[in-house]
Amino acid sequence: MSGEAILIAMMPEHLLLAGIVFLIVLEIAGSTRGSQLLSVAVVAAAAAIAAMLHLQGYSAAPFAGQFSVGPGPFLAKAVVLALAVPVLLMARDDFADDGPFYPLLLSSLYGFCLMMSADSFLTLFLGLEIMSVPVYVMVLLAFRRPESVEAALKYLVLGGTATALFLMGISLFYGGKGTLALSAFTSALSSTDPMATTAVVLVLVAFFLKAAIVPFHAWAPDAYEGASIPVTAFMATVVKAGVVLAALRLFGTAPVSPLTIDLLAILPLVSIVWGNLTAMRQTSFRRMIAYSSIAHAGYLFYAFLGAGPGRFQAVVFYLIAYALMNLLAFASIPSGKDDTARDNLDSMKGLFHRSPYAALMIGMAMLSLAGIPPFPGFVAKFLIFKNVMAAGFTLYAVLGLVGSYLGIYFYLRVIQFMFMTPAAQPAAAAERESGHLALSAGAICLVGTVLVAVFPGWVMSLL
Amino acid sequence: MDDASLLNVVLYLPVAGMALLLAVPAGQDGRVRWLTFWVMVVQLALTAVLYAHFNPAVPGLQFETRVPWIPDWGVHYQIGLDGYNVLLVLLTAFLGPLVVAGAFTAITKDVKLFYSMVLLIQFAMLGTFVAQDLFVFYIFWETMLIPMFLLIGIWGGERRIYATIKFFLYTAFGSILMLAAVIYLVYSLQTTTGVTSFAFADLYESRLPLSTQIVLLAAFGLSFAIKVPMVPLHTWLPDAHVEAPTAGSVILAGVLLKMGTYGFMKLGFPLFPDATHYFTPAIMTLSVISIVYGACLALVQNDIKKIIAYSSISHLGYVMLGLISLDLIGIQGAIVQMVSHGLTAAGLFLMVGMIYERCHTRELSAYGGLAKLLPVYSVFFMILTLASIGLPTTSGFTGEFLVLLGSFTASWPLHVQGNSYPLAMSALAVTGVVLGALYMLRFAQSFLFGVSKAPHLPLSDLDLREKLILVAIVVAVFALGLFPDEPLQKTELAAKQYQQIVRTARMPGSAQ
Repeated sequence: MSGEAILIAMMPEHLLLAGIVFLIVLEIAGSTRGSQLLSVAVVAAAAAIAAMLHLQGYSAAPFAGQFSVGPGPFLAKAVVLALAVPVLLMARDDFADDGPFYPLLLSSLYGFCLMMSADSFLTLFLGLEIMSVPVYVMVLLAFRRPESVEAALKYLVLGGTATALFLMGISLFYGGKGTLALSAFTSALSSTDPMATTAVVLVLVAFFLKAAIVPFHAWAPDAYEGASIPVTAFMATVVKAGVVLAALRLFGTAPVSPLTIDLLAILPLVSIVWGNLTAMRQTSFRRMIAYSSIAHAGYLFYAFLGAGPGRFQAVVFYLIAYALMNLLAFASIPSGKDDTARDNLDSMKGLFHRSPYAALMIGMAMLSLAGIPPFPGFVAKFLIFKNVMAAGFTLYAVLGLVGSYLGIYFYLRVIQFMFMTPAAQPAAAAERESGHLALSAGAICLVGTVLVAVFPGWVMSLL
Repeated sequence: MDDASLLNVVLYLPVAGMALLLAVPAGQDGRVRWLTFWVMVVQLALTAVLYAHFNPAVPGLQFETRVPWIPDWGVHYQIGLDGYNVLLVLLTAFLGPLVVAGAFTAITKDVKLFYSMVLLIQFAMLGTFVAQDLFVFYIFWETMLIPMFLLIGIWGGERRIYATIKFFLYTAFGSILMLAAVIYLVYSLQTTTGVTSFAFADLYESRLPLSTQIVLLAAFGLSFAIKVPMVPLHTWLPDAHVEAPTAGSVILAGVLLKMGTYGFMKLGFPLFPDATHYFTPAIMTLSVISIVYGACLALVQNDIKKIIAYSSISHLGYVMLGLISLDLIGIQGAIVQMVSHGLTAAGLFLMVGMIYERCHTRELSAYGGLAKLLPVYSVFFMILTLASIGLPTTSGFTGEFLVLLGSFTASWPLHVQGNSYPLAMSALAVTGVVLGALYMLRFAQSFLFGVSKAPHLPLSDLDLREKLILVAIVVAVFALGLFPDEPLQKTELAAKQYQQIVRTARMPGSAQ
């Protein structure tokens, strides 16, 4: 354990930490100009990404058995930090001078980075909590509606339950195996020892809870609806990515055992079907996206059925495509004073005639989320289902595809509202154009989308 | 410019056109219209060059581009012209300017979006025809849905939202099963031959057991049969046609429906020849049912768009019959019938659009005696009606005659041969010709002749723009009817290749 390795290997974490400290100092010093805070947060995230790009190919284990870096962790961190940048940019409209928002978001990212490098359950647990706890507060920060309190509380209680399950799981695991090393987890996957089996199930259920897989999904619609748009975007993209990637770190490239097949195929399949069916009935855009994200969590866990070596690529590619689309949609929603009216799907009626570009962007995002070519969501879905089928789970692949068909309708309904239905008058009056920063967040996502759509092969070669 | 890049230019011209449209300032609708029109005209001119340089004696692809796209999966961006698609590409390019010009006065709402969508669908349709890699094909195939969804949903009639969502969900259901089949097919190819490829040429070589072929052909076939559409999967078509704006109907009838039959010819049957033999009686029966049932339904409609919509189902039944007959004449007839139907149905829908702009109703009973009120209109209408019936010297005759000839003389596979079933089916198909004459003449009779009535008098006859559109179509109809030799030469090699691939059962003993 050399000081130099700690400095270099943890560079992204250090930079994020520096950003957090600097933001807190600014807050204490009384400088709460939103643009300043925002710039510090963006610079910290960008510097962390730049550091990782510079460190490509570097691998080290500064804290042996607890924390290690290599190309995989760096890549995962860089991708998710890059996805957080548009979230920061679009937050400017909602959290104009809300000081605490930015350090909280960076802390959550810090926790995520820790998770990606975790070698033991201890570090993984720390990271998971550091990532989750700030989000509870961020949900509450949109203190414009009473629903936010309810949402934050629900999220907190259910998140706490997940924590408890996770702790219980790793305690049992430690009791059975006498180690907390993640590498020992894969051996427990195929074990028949009831203690190890229980541990695996509890840990997996904790992840399912955090990722909102049916039947552990009930918190998501309320939390997504209660939070403000940037926070919902953060939960739907960065947090979801964090949970799935952490699960992936746990499973590594180990083949799925009979026990986990049942959990990894059936519950995600139910999520896909249930999420897509329930999304059809929603009247709130964020609630609809919540159900959509429940279905998408299903596809992501489906990827675990594929053969080990291709799993990372499939999951990360899917996350990129999925997150870009969500962020594009959220960044394009015209802002308005009345958050509830803005969230109502009815307010999208006739949007094309008020803000054509916003409507086109949201429409594109919806089609991509539905998995319609030529948008990136299609290639991402193709990659996952190809791997699942190649691993021999033909029936599950077909059922999953049919489940994804169920989702097409509600995405189309949004397009129908924006392009084909005349506007309801009051909604149009309260609306105003998105700020420049939200627009630039949308532009970043659009460029990313086009890149992934036109050069999917190139993107895959990076993963 | 070398040959291969010319095809790329033709393909991407509509995309460039969309970018140009973005640059047109808001409010200049006229400029948007003319810009789109000229993009389409240039595209047609370049396609005509491609057609003229297409060498019928060369087997395989011409003007081919093949570049690795997703190397991990063996996906190539591969496009090219061959005998299968050359006529359909020409048809698509030919209808492009007519669709645009036909919508000049009809579309006044969201003009820029409208023409962007027309360009987008043109791009997607051409891409579907020229794609030679299954992955690329699938992407273009699905992309077609999006502009059509908007065309019907934004500029359609009263029940447009119901119709467009029905259209989308119907076709997407077929596509999702096809997607599963595509993945399975490529994966099987990989495990049996070690080659990971989506190229049509490689996929033709896959040797799957009959049971797998049956499942995969069912999945591909469902998707294609919905598009054709074959009875009983046709119920989306009348709704879509009735609610779509004229341009949408023209694109739908003119090109989109051929996607289904083209898919069967290029992919469905050649990829799974053993399963095709297995399914031959079923497909033949469904084709004949489509011919007769479509014609019967057309006979009793009062909505003039529905008459043409159901007649499309009937006419595409001939195409399917010709394709499944595996007789060289029948296959050639099917190809001509595709083009012919594209011309006549597009022309008829354009003419319906013209009268609708004047009278704002599609009810047949509201019309009568138009021959006196609109003499020029009526002449064109009569010509297209006769072409649709299949009067000799028009394209409809060439297509239907060759298909029926092929169907009678075909050597059907053993398990359908030997009894009189194919003969009975072919004879039934002939009744479709009679029924076709019946419903079209009934239509023309109560439309053009009898007591003069029209909802909005006085009517102005066709203007120059409308006349030019119709002249172009009528010329093409007669050209294909009088000189079918030249186009048939271009497709002959492909027809032979198709016949050979499908006829040769690969798994010994599996065909019978």
